[in-house]
Order: sequence, then structure tokens, then C-alpha cells
Amino acid sequence: MRRSTKKLLLIAAMVMWGDAALAESAVVLVTSSDGPIQEMSSLEVRKAYMGVAVTVDGTTVRAVRRADDERLNQIFLQSVIAMSERSYERRLLSLVLRSGVPRPAEVGDLEELSELLERIPSAVSYMWRRDAEGDPGVRIIRILWQET
Amino acid sequence: MTHSRRIKTARHRLRMAILVPLLLATLFAGPQLRAEPQHDVLVFLSLEGHDIRSTQNPELDGFNGHGTADLLYTYNSERFRFLAEYILSSSENEMERFKAAWRIDDQTLLWLGRFHAISNYWTTEYHHGQYMQTSISRPGLEEWEDESGPMPSHVTGLALEHDFPLSDSSAMSLGLAAGLAPKFAVDQLVPFDVLNPESGHDLSLSGRLVFRPDVLSMKQIGVAIAHNDIAVVSDSSPNLTDLNAIRQTTAGIFSNWRWQDWVVSTNWVWFDIEMQYRDRDVDDNFLMGYVQGEYDVSDDWTIFGRIEIGDNEDASPYLQLLPSVIAHRHMLGARWDIADSHALTLELADTSTQGDDLNHDNFKEIRFQWSAVFP
Repeated sequence: MRRSTKKLLLIAAMVMWGDAALAESAVVLVTSSDGPIQEMSSLEVRKAYMGVAVTVDGTTVRAVRRADDERLNQIFLQSVIAMSERSYERRLLSLVLRSGVPRPAEVGDLEELSELLERIPSAVSYMWRRDAEGDPGVRIIRILWQET
Repeated sequence: MTHSRRIKTARHRLRMAILVPLLLATLFAGPQLRAEPQHDVLVFLSLEGHDIRSTQNPELDGFNGHGTADLLYTYNSERFRFLAEYILSSSENEMERFKAAWRIDDQTLLWLGRFHAISNYWTTEYHHGQYMQTSISRPGLEEWEDESGPMPSHVTGLALEHDFPLSDSSAMSLGLAAGLAPKFAVDQLVPFDVLNPESGHDLSLSGRLVFRPDVLSMKQIGVAIAHNDIAVVSDSSPNLTDLNAIRQTTAGIFSNWRWQDWVVSTNWVWFDIEMQYRDRDVDDNFLMGYVQGEYDVSDDWTIFGRIEIGDNEDASPYLQLLPSVIAHRHMLGARWDIADSHALTLELADTSTQGDDLNHDNFKEIRFQWSAVFP
């Protein structure tokens, strides 16, 4: 399916589901519950996801992407990265090509994400707030987006 | 088995020893985070058709097509980074970059190995990633050595990269490099061959300073300088008889700027060349440059054009040693991003190459290309 078509369907779904599904929706930045990262500004989050080295609380941040939730990814890209998916992907490819900076790792489901956050204390990722609140292994660093 | 055949076989085995793991990594790896260190693999593929028509010199007429695969592997840990880039095409197989870095801190990397010349703007932006550049062709100024590029593209040695943050989002980037420059043989520059270390190469020194107003965008403006002592294989061509060395100093200014749907990239390089013959020195000064404009018509379509011109380059004795170097070009093209990571591109150009004397070879070009990146 073309990216533009996906976006249209996503917007349509948001409009149709509107109040019912999204009223309480929020996307949050998370890390391991016993990880060292306590706070991150939105610029630091953006930098970490765009391949710029970010050190917070003495730790180099590892950004982790989600490959399992199209809607979550679209919101993250639009609200946090402020780029279209194509521009973002090109930017990451360019960093690999120019400087050898690997792209952020991707996880395929929540279980894999929890496992990874536990294994790598410097890793951060994004989740729906309801998922984060239901997982004792993760700690919310900040709210990235909230449905108003 | 003759000595040269043994060397050829050894080189082939070494290339395969490097290439096979890269190919396997390509099949089984993506961006992963299985442990602390990270690695990534990219494969850039392209197929290109190129047709030339000349009213001035029908010998230039013809069509050729070629395919290219560019394999890139990177490994990154807390203090160490490694990058290898291998190109396989219908015309060459070569380890383009093979370098390792010690990460001194978050802002500083010290590289050792074979890398692309840091003073070449286009080369350091796109390398061999054909999909990443909007146009099919590269500017003549920044062509590879084996495509009659006038500047060295590959250096083997040390390179230092350091970023100076200026604010939360802007930075200056400094690059310094020292290593072995290409030598000049027949009608082109020939990079240092790691497999033949005694091949007679001299010193290359270069530096660049880049201002990035927003480190999260591609916007940049910078200056670059380089000095290359280029050894000459005098007996490789009658044109090089009695020419012992070429001292090439370059100074350039480059920029890539975006305004909404427009992107303009440009690079202007001043060449100061001393050609050292057995009985005399010949000084040569000229300017080469280009401006490329791109306009995003929609998410999927981009139109672009480029003008390549110069000053005093038509009479350059140095460029006359590179008969295929692009002297002038006016090009227009369109790119269609047909899927997430595939593009079709068409280019039309009116081009002049240096030719064998002061009379340029002029011709019309049409190029079309499919390019993609995986995974």
C-alpha cells in the first residue's frame, strides 16, 4: 500500500474513531524501570532518534523504534520527529552512508521491547501510555503526545 | 603459474574473503540491537541506461547500460566504529571504503583506513549510494578517479572528525585528513592499492570546516582545502613523458540549502596546480563548479537541473591530461519515488568533455535509472 494512502486511511480512522478510541490516548517515552535515564527534553529525544549522539545522566542514549504499530509510528513521526516517514528514513540512511552511524534498532512487539529495555538500560522507546502503565518493567520518562 | 597471475589470484581470494561475509551479513542482518554494539547493512542497487548522440563527433555515439551493487556494513560500539563499502558493478569490483574509528568522545572520531576524500563535498554526502542522490550523474568536478575526476576521491590514512556544538541545534564540524594520494597513470588518477603497498604514492593533506545551522537537517555551508602530491607514471602514456609529479592544491566552498520544497547544492573549487616536468615547471590555475537545483513537485516527484561551468579550465594543461573530464554540462531531470525505497530517474544533458586538445567534445546525453536501497 502506498505511504500516502496509508496516511489517508490513518487520518480517516482517527476521525472515525475519534472520541471513543483516542480520547484517552497518549504516547510516552519509556526506559527500563531501573535504568539511569531520568529526564530527556524533546530536542534530546529528537536528536537521539535522528542519529545524533545524546548523553543523558552520564549515559549515551540508545533509541529504539517500533515496527509493530503503524498508528503509533505515524504519531511519533509527526509529533516528535516532525518529518514525513520518507524524509526520516532518508535522513537515517544518509547517516549510515556518510558516517557509519547505524539506524535505530527496531522491535517487532511489546514483549521484545520489554526484553530489550531490561537488557539495555540506556535504551529508550515509545509506547501507548496504557501499555506502559501495564508493564512494571518500564518507567515513563515523559509524555510525547496526548490526544486533546 | 606466473608471478602476476599469482598476485591476481591472491587479490581475487582476498576480495572474495571480504565480499562473502558482507553478502551473508546482507542476507541475515538488518539494523539490530541484540547486544550493546550495533551494526547495520545497506545494499544500494541501480540499473542505468546511457545514450550519447554527437553531431560533432559521431564516434562518441552509442548506448551503454550497467548495473551496480553497493554494499555497506557498519559496526558501532561505545568506543569503536567500523565501516566497509564494497562496490560490484559491470565495470569494476572494488573495496571503496574500509576504515575503523576510535571514538574519543561523543563529538570526536579518529579514523584509520581507506576513505573518501573529505574535501569532496558530493562524494562525502552520497558516496556510492546512487539512490541517495537525486540526479543520476555526478558533477564532473566530483567524478571518481576512474571516471576522469580531476580531484583525488580516495585517500588511505588518518582522518579526524570533530563537532563543535554552537547551540542546542547548530554546530560546526571540523575534518582533517592525512594519507596517501592517488598517482597519475595513462589518463586518470589511480588511488592507493592496499594490496600493492609499494605502488609509489605521495602525500595527501586535506581539511574542511562545515557550519550546520540545524544538526537535524541536511543544511550546511562549508569550506574545504586540500594539497595532493601526485606521483606520475611517466612511461604509462606519451602525454606524460618527462612529467615527474603534479602538485595539486585546491580550495573550495560548498553548500546545501533547503527552502520549503527547494534544495540548492553547489560547490566551487579553485585549483592551483604545478606540473613538474624534468626540465621545467608548468603552473596551472582554474576554477570548476556547479549549481544543482531541486524542486519537490509532490511527495513522489522531484524535478532538478544542474549547470557545470568554470573559469580558465578550457585551457588547463592539467585537464588536457584527463580527456574525458566533464568541462561543461547543462542538465535537466525528473525523479519518481515509486515506492518506499525505489526510484526511477530520467536525465537529459548537453555535455562537453575536455577532449584531446583545446577543442571540447560536445554531445547530448540521455540517462535513465532505477535505483533502490535494501533493507
